[in-house]
Amino acid sequence: MASSLGGVAAPAEGRSGDARVGRIRISLWIVVALGVVLPLLAAPALTENLSFSFYLMLWIILCTSFNLVAGFTGYMPFGYVAFYGVGAYATGVLHKTYGLPMPGALVCAALAGAAVSLLLAPTLRLKGVYFGIVSLALAVIFRLVVSMLPEDITGGSMGLILARANDPQTTYYVTVAVLAACLAAAGWLAFSRTGVALRAVRDDADAAAIVGIDVTRTRLKAWVLAATFPAVVGGLEAWYTNAIDPEASFNILVTAKVIVYSMAGGLGTLLGPVLGAGALYGIDHLIWQKFPVLNLMFLGIIIMVMILVFPRGLVGSFAQRFPLLRRYIP
Amino acid sequence: MLRVTDLTKTFGGLKALGGVSLHIPEKRVLGLLGMNGSGKTTLLNCINGLYEPSSGDIQLQGTSLLGLPTHKIAARGVGRTFQVPKLFPRMTLLENLAAPFTTGDASDAEVYERSAEWLNRVELYRLRHNYAEELSGGQQKLVELARMMVAQPKLVLLDEPFAGVNPSLALLIIRLIEAMPERDGCSVLLVSHDLTSVYQLSHNIVVLHEGRVLAEGGAAEIRSNPDVIEAYLGA
Repeated sequence: MASSLGGVAAPAEGRSGDARVGRIRISLWIVVALGVVLPLLAAPALTENLSFSFYLMLWIILCTSFNLVAGFTGYMPFGYVAFYGVGAYATGVLHKTYGLPMPGALVCAALAGAAVSLLLAPTLRLKGVYFGIVSLALAVIFRLVVSMLPEDITGGSMGLILARANDPQTTYYVTVAVLAACLAAAGWLAFSRTGVALRAVRDDADAAAIVGIDVTRTRLKAWVLAATFPAVVGGLEAWYTNAIDPEASFNILVTAKVIVYSMAGGLGTLLGPVLGAGALYGIDHLIWQKFPVLNLMFLGIIIMVMILVFPRGLVGSFAQRFPLLRRYIP
Repeated sequence: MLRVTDLTKTFGGLKALGGVSLHIPEKRVLGLLGMNGSGKTTLLNCINGLYEPSSGDIQLQGTSLLGLPTHKIAARGVGRTFQVPKLFPRMTLLENLAAPFTTGDASDAEVYERSAEWLNRVELYRLRHNYAEELSGGQQKLVELARMMVAQPKLVLLDEPFAGVNPSLALLIIRLIEAMPERDGCSVLLVSHDLTSVYQLSHNIVVLHEGRVLAEGGAAEIRSNPDVIEAYLGA
């Protein structure tokens, strides 16, 4: 059958089948996103202790947005916590020092995260471990700068107490909304042509340029989006705990956990970081309750076993084991 | 179509191209021969913007390509394949062929139709959901060719398209290159050490030697040129 383009057209059954695969993949992601968001939305009606659900949402947002830059473009920003810290401080300072209401402060935190990502955009020229090390160094520099700013603005090394902002219920529902927005943004990016361009750049930047992709601009889109959500998360946590300080806000352990959770689930897929964050944060929480002294040791052992058994993460290993099903995995 | 004028490219003290000039008319195949290190791939890298030439000019349809980044040169209709295929290994074949459409306004249906058409032409449609890394080297060459052609380029730069390819796949690649000028409407710059194929496919041939044009002409002229015989073909 000749196509309108003068070539050899795809068999009709192949065409419709492939279109169906695309629809199933998008539908599955919508189901997953609703399956995550709706129970978390209902949680306040079921329990008074919202802390677990709240932090679970934070980790899912952090891992999902981290995946945009690490899984889709191949960068490994070891200093990812810088965006989180900048967001926390933007929120805290604007609320406490300048009296901005929390929702407005959170919007400014998002803008601050985006602004910092643009400031750091030149580091995207670096590759591999060099990029990772520079981003880590920048996170340390940010922490030092924040510590040394005038105490009447940032609270110096002691940080700020945001007692007037205390409203855990509202914070929780805003976090649910941010989670929904993050999952929607990630889905939009992954299923759009930008998502194809991002993965092309990740696999081979020269080849991507050869086929007409603007590599710099494509990386920048993912970088800015990946920086905005952790900044909001930093602000949300400041709002929830009513306290910020440089050590906690720029703690490298945040980046480490984001990397481990995301990799355990499987970078490069939408499902992987959600699954990884859910599973490992759940395990982390359980271990912490049972073994408060030895929790990090047990968590480390579990992570090592997971990496050995599932080197490509839970989702990646499943896709490798069942290649016929992988086309349906969002 | 493509006019290269007095092009030079130096790497430190090494002069890889020492004033190369050549011309490819519309819908013509220009074969480019030369020993290893003669500057063939460097010339291709200069044309599609991977290298910045030291001096000289490169014009496509009368407009200079100098200073344009690679993706803008691609947008002007210059396609490229590599001696070692540069695919997107962790993407499916359909996704590989969709990559050139991430900019532009082709509809999803059109992208699919054109990708499927080209996967059919390289006889790999059945593997469309496979990752590129799962293919053999020869199949990867075919996918790279299809990915380049799906964007309907005006000029294609083929770097050793027959290297490491078995005879049946080489025959398919020859058929595809033969069809490029008339059926696909593009000009071709063909770099290959496979002399038989270059003689068969090229309307004109340029021989590079140590970064300079040693000879230019039809297949018969090149075969009998004493300088070419001495420098490249052997006694």
